[in-house]
Amino acid sequence: MVSPSHNAPGLSKNMAASGRHAGHYINKNSRSLLNHLDKLLGQRGFALSSVLRQQTATLQNDSTEAIVIPRKKTWGKEAVLEALASTVNRDPTAYHYQFQDDPYLSPRTSAESKLYSMSQESGRAAAKYFVDMYPKYFTKDFAEPHIPCLMPASVALSLEEVSEEALKERIGLRKVGAAVEMYDQLVQAGTPISKQMTYDLLDLICFYGDREPAQEGEPEADQTEASAEELRRKRGRFHRASDTLRGVWRENNNAERLFRLLPEREARCYSAVIRGMVKHGAFAKAFDMYTDMLNNRLTADVDIFNALILAVPEMREAYTEKVDFITDLLNQMSQQKVQPNLQTFNNVLKVLRRCGALAKSISLQTLSEMKALGIAPSLASFNHLLAIFYKGGSAADYPTDILQELLSEIETTSFTCQDPEDVWFFSSAMKICLETKDMKLGYKVQSLVGVGDNWRLLGDSYQQGMFYYRFFSLLCLMEHVDVVLKWYHQLMPSLYYPNPQGMRDLLQALDTESRLELLPSIWKDVKTLGHDNKSDLVEELLSLMAREKHSPEVQESFADCALDIKAAFDVDRRKPSLEWSPLALGHVTTLLLRAGRIPQAWEMMQLFKSKNRIPSEALLEDFLSQCSGAPTTAVELVKLSAAFCLPATPQLAQRVLLEFDLTEDQRTTLSELESSWDHNE
Amino acid sequence: MAAHTTKICLSLGRINGPGFGQYASLNRATYATALSTSNFTGNKGGPDRGGRGAFVRRPRREPGEPRTEKMDSQQDWSAVYPSAASFRPGSVPLPVRMGYPVKGGVPSEKRGNLELIKIPNFLHLTPAAIKKHCEALKPFCTEWPAGLDSDGDLDKHLPIQIETTDYVSAGPSVRNPAARVVTLRVRLSSLNLDEHAREKMLKLLGDRYCKDTDILTITTDSCPLKQQNTDYAMYLLTVLYHEAWKTEAWESEMTRADRREYIWEDSASQQNVLDTLARMGVGEGEAPPREVLLARPEVQQYRDSVTRLKNEGESEGATLRYREAVKKLLSL
Repeated sequence: MVSPSHNAPGLSKNMAASGRHAGHYINKNSRSLLNHLDKLLGQRGFALSSVLRQQTATLQNDSTEAIVIPRKKTWGKEAVLEALASTVNRDPTAYHYQFQDDPYLSPRTSAESKLYSMSQESGRAAAKYFVDMYPKYFTKDFAEPHIPCLMPASVALSLEEVSEEALKERIGLRKVGAAVEMYDQLVQAGTPISKQMTYDLLDLICFYGDREPAQEGEPEADQTEASAEELRRKRGRFHRASDTLRGVWRENNNAERLFRLLPEREARCYSAVIRGMVKHGAFAKAFDMYTDMLNNRLTADVDIFNALILAVPEMREAYTEKVDFITDLLNQMSQQKVQPNLQTFNNVLKVLRRCGALAKSISLQTLSEMKALGIAPSLASFNHLLAIFYKGGSAADYPTDILQELLSEIETTSFTCQDPEDVWFFSSAMKICLETKDMKLGYKVQSLVGVGDNWRLLGDSYQQGMFYYRFFSLLCLMEHVDVVLKWYHQLMPSLYYPNPQGMRDLLQALDTESRLELLPSIWKDVKTLGHDNKSDLVEELLSLMAREKHSPEVQESFADCALDIKAAFDVDRRKPSLEWSPLALGHVTTLLLRAGRIPQAWEMMQLFKSKNRIPSEALLEDFLSQCSGAPTTAVELVKLSAAFCLPATPQLAQRVLLEFDLTEDQRTTLSELESSWDHNE
Repeated sequence: MAAHTTKICLSLGRINGPGFGQYASLNRATYATALSTSNFTGNKGGPDRGGRGAFVRRPRREPGEPRTEKMDSQQDWSAVYPSAASFRPGSVPLPVRMGYPVKGGVPSEKRGNLELIKIPNFLHLTPAAIKKHCEALKPFCTEWPAGLDSDGDLDKHLPIQIETTDYVSAGPSVRNPAARVVTLRVRLSSLNLDEHAREKMLKLLGDRYCKDTDILTITTDSCPLKQQNTDYAMYLLTVLYHEAWKTEAWESEMTRADRREYIWEDSASQQNVLDTLARMGVGEGEAPPREVLLARPEVQQYRDSVTRLKNEGESEGATLRYREAVKKLLSL
């Protein structure tokens, strides 16, 4: 970045760059030197002093031109790096930067990319595990300046005696069971425990629902089974997968026990318990606890209300009741002078999604409330809004153009992640654009992703894949094939690995504009992506190629492609291979025939025989017309069709007899076949 | 189907094996039978694969197409190589060759060429990229002061130059001990020195002064930090300056041998010349005064040649000039 000078003393290893910084000392110092000289003048002889004074005078004369040296600018530590990084754009042909940029090592399919990124993460986790488990081997600190996150983190308990510090340590390391044990021991021993410590412990238990925090990668098999049992017992209706992950609030667990033991209960304890209950599914209890709190004349805080709003749909069934309950809660909130925050409104909108037709007007009211209070809505609020307004299956049910208004408002805003549900916005927005077949909106959503930091809110690989798949489908539906291809090369493979459906949309687009000469390159991409074992995709490709006759070069390329596809059907491969269908066989043979490759086409006919598939009549006719001058082949063909008992055998036999020069044996064979066929008829 | 068969064989193997050793051998046996009985897909090894009894190996993963095929000729190159990175043959669309060629051959191609990977490359610093970087760095710069247009101005207003070097490398530590070196340069003409001060200064400086460019160079690296070294360099300059102006008592005891340069006046050579001229009988009648003799052009020429010989050392030109001067002096 800094240009190296040619006499740089030494370039260190690993591609170092040395910068020479030549600075001129500031004017101030040289002036002080001159001032010093003035003092010395008195000691010198007169003659000399006059000379010097003159010198000083001239210098001062010049310096009265006022050489203004501007004040040096200061900037943050990463400012230069960020400025240089802003000159770099995205590389459309490269895979994600975390992978090795090598033709052998880059992930070519979406499964591979997931596997590789997960393996990288698991490697990092394994390294972190070792560093944490055996910190005595990792004491030397190489990094300068110090990097704290690379140092061993303390995960093992160090304090064993029964004391408050030990309790604090256990709370800090998030060991729920051990902390509760320590607390019980302390209570039995009679030592006084500070209130803050008890409240911290209560927070810990409620947050984790009286379970240990899930370790990375350890499946909680037995726990989820147990909780699933409980869930099925408790609620007969359909339970979502998220419930099993959350776990269940057991009766009389440690949190409730601790709560009852508390001498005085502040709002903070109630907050912890209520939020824990809502998080882990004990909704009715949460409301009971809330009324309890009100009876004790304590004011709830904003987090309690947020949790209670979330619990509303579990407590009431009818839409109107839900809405009334929410309004009731909000009124109580304003009565208790609690300021709502972004999470409150997001939760309200989330619950409104399950409130049917009433939701539309109320959600708009909610948005205006947010604006009045000066809280900027996050992408999660917009997501809920879209879900409320664009409910239902078909595009005809969408009388509103709320997405358009929304996008025009937030066109240039860069969002940060404020709610875990933010990541759903982009994929649902693109889904709506696809369903309403609105290309302009699609482009707007796509450009919104490029604004500032919004790309971080695209979500995990699944959501990203969904987003780009829907965008690409929309493009294939609506846009000219040149634009489609341009976007295809932009998005693939750096951002998006197309799934088979996406490739079929692309084939459709190519077909619509009859740009079928690009099909061989599409097949290459299909093979790279690992979709060459999807039979419907391959068959569609083949049928598109075989449908019409094209110019000779195109036919040649199609024939090469057909041979390649034939190789994909072969058995000796590791992956589960495709089964030949009669259509596929027919198409490949047609393509080979059209390019004039008779021997390979003959191999295909043998394949017909070995796989017991029946060729079509048109194919056989085609073959005959192609193989003029090879009478043996023709005779073999007729024999083949006789073996299959095709009704076209006599016509074929006749044609061969007429058109070809045959030997006597061949003639007899053919006439036999013809006659035997007639007899069978 | 094939996989299913294998699983059955394996489970049988486990049930039948009592001891560990037998278990292992049975396992191997069942693997071998599994290989021979089923047309296992992906088994390209052939007969030796089964004979070794090894695990079933997957077919070798083929490398994909290098991404140079997909690159557009008008692409943004600074996106491909945004920062310093080693050479990647799959990402650089140039048909580069490197290496010592075999006899009658050409240098090897870029694929798998370690020579290309070992050397540092500047693919991340193309002129277009540098232009972009400069544009991005302009906001960090202040503008050049108005009055400093030429080198003369710079020397006049900012006579002292301080040179430091910063080092950047990829590694866990940003520190580099070579970064503490500081070089201070100043022209002696910009310092106010009289004769005595200049002589003393030059004696003090020794090697650090370059006569051709009149630049004094002080290099400091004795302190661990750059700031300390710059302070030390400025301190040295100040001290040198003040010491040069001071006259110590013992300086009056300076002899001819202590002088930095040879001076012809009052030297043995001058005395020799005068004696020689007197003996040659130059000047009619009584001996002319010394000043007249000394003012004669031959004597001046002789003086110049001797001074040059003594100060600058012997060289062919200097010796020739001395010869000429002597010839003229002795009127040969």
